[in-house]
Amino acid sequence: MKTEIIENGRLNESYYRAEHPSGLTILVLTKPDYTGSHAIFAAKYGSIDTKIQDADGAFRDIPAGTAHFLEHKLFESEDLDAFERFAKTGAYANAFTSFDRTAYIFSCSQSFKENLEILLDFVQSPYFSEETVRKEQGIIGQEIRMYKDVAGWQVMFNLLGALYHENSVKIDIAGTEESIAGISADMLYGCYKNFYSLRNMVLAVAGNVTPEDVLEVADRLLKAEEGKAVQREFKREPAKPARTYVEESLAVSTPNFLLGYKEDISTPERSVKESLCTEIIHEVIAGKSSPLYKRLLEDGLINAGFSFEHFAGYGFACSFFGGESAKPQETADEIKKEVARIKETGISGQSFERARRKLYGGMVMMYNDVEDIARDLMEAHFSGTGLFDTVETCVSLTLEDVNGRLREILDGDTAALSIINPIVH
Amino acid sequence: MSDLRQIEIAQGVDLCAVKTDMFKTGRISVTMALPLGGDIAANAALVYILRRSCAKYPDFTSLNGHLDELYGAALSASVTKLGEAQTVNLSISAIDDRFALGGDSVLESAAELLLCMLFEPKLVDANFTQEDVDIEKRLLLERMLSELDDKTVYAMRRCQELMCADEPFGQSRYGTREDILSLTPDRIYAAWKNMLATAVIRFVAVGSADADEIARSLKKRFESIERRPAATSTRFIAEAGEMKYHSEEMAVKQGKLVMGFRAGMARKDDYDSAMTVMCDVFGGGTYSKLFSHVREKMSLCYYCSSRLDKEKGLMMVQSGIETENEEKARAAILEQLDAVRSGDFTSDTFNASIMSINETLRSYDDSPEVLCQWYSMQLLEDVTKTTEERMAEINAVTQEQISEAANKVTLDTVFMLIGTKEDGEDEN
Repeated sequence: MKTEIIENGRLNESYYRAEHPSGLTILVLTKPDYTGSHAIFAAKYGSIDTKIQDADGAFRDIPAGTAHFLEHKLFESEDLDAFERFAKTGAYANAFTSFDRTAYIFSCSQSFKENLEILLDFVQSPYFSEETVRKEQGIIGQEIRMYKDVAGWQVMFNLLGALYHENSVKIDIAGTEESIAGISADMLYGCYKNFYSLRNMVLAVAGNVTPEDVLEVADRLLKAEEGKAVQREFKREPAKPARTYVEESLAVSTPNFLLGYKEDISTPERSVKESLCTEIIHEVIAGKSSPLYKRLLEDGLINAGFSFEHFAGYGFACSFFGGESAKPQETADEIKKEVARIKETGISGQSFERARRKLYGGMVMMYNDVEDIARDLMEAHFSGTGLFDTVETCVSLTLEDVNGRLREILDGDTAALSIINPIVH
Repeated sequence: MSDLRQIEIAQGVDLCAVKTDMFKTGRISVTMALPLGGDIAANAALVYILRRSCAKYPDFTSLNGHLDELYGAALSASVTKLGEAQTVNLSISAIDDRFALGGDSVLESAAELLLCMLFEPKLVDANFTQEDVDIEKRLLLERMLSELDDKTVYAMRRCQELMCADEPFGQSRYGTREDILSLTPDRIYAAWKNMLATAVIRFVAVGSADADEIARSLKKRFESIERRPAATSTRFIAEAGEMKYHSEEMAVKQGKLVMGFRAGMARKDDYDSAMTVMCDVFGGGTYSKLFSHVREKMSLCYYCSSRLDKEKGLMMVQSGIETENEEKARAAILEQLDAVRSGDFTSDTFNASIMSINETLRSYDDSPEVLCQWYSMQLLEDVTKTTEERMAEINAVTQEQISEAANKVTLDTVFMLIGTKEDGEDEN
């Protein structure tokens, strides 16, 4: 078994990495003075995976929302379901599905090995029946309906629908009530077999736990099989958005808006450096110490809910700026003007240093939280990077890196605006 | 776990300090409590105004620039209700000096900034400026409206407001819309003076900083303030009268059902840890009666849970459902409560609940933010408890006491937010 210890003197942290004979990569960051631990067992399988690759290499469609549906159903088994098993140890267990991951998690401060055994066992033991699938369609149907009323969720999916022509990132993570109606037990077994190969998964643990504890359980529980890492299909999107404007009315008091710039990408994933440069650019343009923020706030165009994000994953990358505004169109215009101005002038050394310091501080703070650490270990693994790459890249970034990146992104004609208006009676 | 030190600063002002170097950060927070009933809107606006500037950094941009320089020190302000007290909080977290790139002293500057905001706000001619007050009026109003745009929050607030219409608790923690719109610099200034003189105040520090040093600088700040702390007394109603029912229609897809119960407390001292465990057995984790029956067995909802507010003696149950299933869901929830009352739950469920509460309490030690909050929220208690002490109380609860606790709970008010939006109406 290939193992290594990766250290970082700056943060005074280190973690253990093993390529287990079963095919699974295991990552452990020990925090000896902490009370609790957090474990994530995750598959590289999310809502963007709407196709399965057949043995002959061809891609076949599966209904939207299967990754999330499977996540719900995996908790069940023929006898005791996973929640009932965790209830006996007291651990907090849960799972989540994002655009490109499905993760099963637990947090505990006692009986770590017992909990890890439950986690590894239930995720490796699928049990689906037509009856339980039907029942779940009701529960997930309510989950989908709940989000239909959430303005912040709708404004984002409407924007993704405007920005992207084909990319499945524009479909709600849980799918639609219609798409999940087409899910069957057989289909779930097929998806499971394809995406839940140990080579397509990772086990990431942080907290008061040693690599020996983890390996002892992993050696007993992991079932090696002939699986392989799943290939995703990357199709380059047109550079321009499908639509530049989209609106909807919901029961809200103030309009919500989200302005998005789509990045024209020729490779599916963004490097650590590209992501960090983008975050610094966002901070300089619209951070709380920026002239734009001051102007928008004083002119009554934004409130405390204003935020921005580098929204990126496999096959998609965008810059988002959004929040609530009585005059969403005017606000978006102001942001676009400022983006264009800064693209013209470039970023100053002083603004860059300030934003870089802020980002660095945020990264250091992240190491307080075992849940965040485990999640970052997982993300780094799936992106093919190391946990400490982000902080080290941040320290070594130059102003030229950032201004170079600024020239590549945020073109005015790649932007689209999504607005949620209050319902007018 | 690290030691807790409690140091008196002035009358009704203390410092709780947890000294530890296990975290990458240091955190200091101040929480101030006043009886819910004074100028609620001014108190709420005040804390956000304090958060926006201070004498040394007189505008939002320079203040945030300074925070960026302090490696993105995280500053936050909040307003909550603690029983019938209004509490406002200002907190700052910053990376420990060990991790600063230039060897600068980050923590001391961050703590200094928090104190500057509290004691030396930006004043012009000995008053807050009209301009700052106007901005904050708008932001506070939008904050209030924005929270209510979340229908889960809206339905919960509305139920409590209707249930406690004749009690101070029925008021918004931000005050009314009219109170906010009529705010003036004079009222904000009066609220600031009043808060420093009469609020019960607790500072909490978590990190590597020296508690005695912090205490010394705090004591100096309070030397010139004449303290006369105001006590909060919360009104409790032990038993519900006739059940009240309210509903509202809204153009949403999913209906929201909220059921408000009185938790059998006639005064604060009536609180019993068995009620906390009962509420968790009833509608806490995935092992609870509500999750396993109303969600898992009946597929009626994605969430259905109960929560105890021991500061006010309320138990609230909430669920997101199809409007047409309201009767079915209400009946199912009450049926599960009856089951708990008659002892119809397994010792597995009971044990799962005890273990889960223990796990949650133990996890507090791993987060500076949560630890800070744990001690801050006890500022009105006679005795401040550690999480270990709280665990001991929970672990002393017996299975028999759960049924007894459930029998003390009475249904006061049902609120239903009726969704009137049909399928297909959400097309763009």
